[in-house]
Amino acid sequence: MPLQNHSKTSFSKKVILNFKKHAIVYIFLVPILIHFAIFHLYPILFSLYITFMKWPIIGEAEFIGLDNWIAFLSDELAWKAIWNTILFSLYYIVPTMALGLGLALLINQGKKGSAIFKGIFFLPVVTSFVVISGIWSWLFKGTESGLVNVLLHNFGIDTQLFLSSSAQALIVLAGLSIFKVCGSTMIYYYAGLQSIPEEYYEAARIDGANRWKLFWKITFPLLLPIHFYVAIITSIGSFQIFDSAFLLTSGGPNYSTTTIVYYLYHQGFTSLRLGYASVLAYVLFFIIFGLSLIQKRYFGKEVDYK
Amino acid sequence: MQKSARWTYVPLVGIALCFVIPFLIMAFGSILKMRIPTSNPFLWFSEEITIENFTYILKNAEFIRWIINSTIITVIPVFAQMFFAAVLGYIFAKKEFPFKNIIFWTMMAVIMLPSQLLIIPRYIMFSEFGWINTYLPLIVPEIWGILGVFFVRQYMQTLPKDLEEAARIDGAGDFTIFFKIMLPLSKPVIATVGTFAFISNWNDLLTPLIFTTSQDMYPVTVGLASLLTKEGNFGVEMAGSLLSFIPTFLIFLFFQRYFVKGIALSGLK
Repeated sequence: MPLQNHSKTSFSKKVILNFKKHAIVYIFLVPILIHFAIFHLYPILFSLYITFMKWPIIGEAEFIGLDNWIAFLSDELAWKAIWNTILFSLYYIVPTMALGLGLALLINQGKKGSAIFKGIFFLPVVTSFVVISGIWSWLFKGTESGLVNVLLHNFGIDTQLFLSSSAQALIVLAGLSIFKVCGSTMIYYYAGLQSIPEEYYEAARIDGANRWKLFWKITFPLLLPIHFYVAIITSIGSFQIFDSAFLLTSGGPNYSTTTIVYYLYHQGFTSLRLGYASVLAYVLFFIIFGLSLIQKRYFGKEVDYK
Repeated sequence: MQKSARWTYVPLVGIALCFVIPFLIMAFGSILKMRIPTSNPFLWFSEEITIENFTYILKNAEFIRWIINSTIITVIPVFAQMFFAAVLGYIFAKKEFPFKNIIFWTMMAVIMLPSQLLIIPRYIMFSEFGWINTYLPLIVPEIWGILGVFFVRQYMQTLPKDLEEAARIDGAGDFTIFFKIMLPLSKPVIATVGTFAFISNWNDLLTPLIFTTSQDMYPVTVGLASLLTKEGNFGVEMAGSLLSFIPTFLIFLFFQRYFVKGIALSGLK
């Protein structure tokens, strides 16, 4: 009896001691784990469940099995949204990378005032899409009062429809995104450029290499990990594009700027089909997951400069 | 070399101008008395200067409300994210406990999933909670973020162990070590976390678009968006844009070096 008692106190003592030792872990990590379970883990699992339901915002939810998934396969508008998003990426990724690299090279060359230039190019990154779209909508209004049209008139070019043209609207949106994002691409490249040792260039210069050769033989290949990283994060970003399509064109004209996320928003909160919109969310997830896998597979192979 | 360096300023200044012009259009547009921009931009200089656009916006009482809403749903998560990034970063960097790595990488993996996946389940959850059209869905899920925890963890892992050991010999516990040593040493990285949180919360459009349904609960992004679609008045739109832009601009001016560092940090490990 007393022996048992003894071991009992020592056990609870142990617990208390253990708690004291790890108090900071229990006090902060446990609530955050609960928060994580409620606001991240559960919704992610729940959203998979929703895809099997007919779930109007108002009214009863009803289990319909794979109907939403099957509906997706034959929904031409959904495929158009995917195609639009791919098209958007094509207009957006390479120019963003090229402009980011170009700006990084220029800033790396002209050291004086580089902080100011970096600041200027980075400014759109921190500005909201709403503010930039506000300006953009006046710049690319497809009428006489559109500011770019005013400018084009001076060169004798006819009024362009821009945001009201189904051929041009997506390109204008890509232009807005390039303007907004290339500042952060520039920072990645700038950091990459600074890690290339100056000796490489000196050695090549002694061998008589010109600037063009220096760029293609040293700079460009040594930046390979950065090219890859930037390509992946800009493509992930481009698949999530929503704000400008919502603000400037509402997915139009003629669905030409209906992107995946815009279509998801529209299906969920205008057509009130939450189950179907969840399918679209999963399609988006699969695409982005695929891109991340590629990144994980190849980004590990880093070039060692040292 | 010197000569070629000078030439780089030609394209640099040229592109910089292209970047500045939209912001100049906003600034000038906001003080000119024009409903629709005059066809020749050079005539803008002869336009009448007015503060009418601003008074119009500010008299529209909702605009001030939108700014206040944005402030509430930004400032609370910013401080919470800074605090939790610091303390969780410390826990994951310096403490040993069971399942530590599994917990960390599970959190990493789940929170890195595209946020659009969360919109619909959260909408249903928050409807049940009765949270729609309150600040709660815009604050509560945002009180910590994995990226901030990751930053601080990476940073604290590089701090020398001696610091901690010396303090422990003097009888300091975790809390003393955290508040007296780790927290002060990590100020720059915590500031980075805060600036990122500020910009992403202030600028967010999709989340508040879904979780707020009445005008007086809109943050300034949603409010301004509704203004842009109905006004069609250049001066007023530019004034509204400028007012909602000023807070991000000020944060940007003060914390620019943290942004640049943070962007580089997030990309290059």
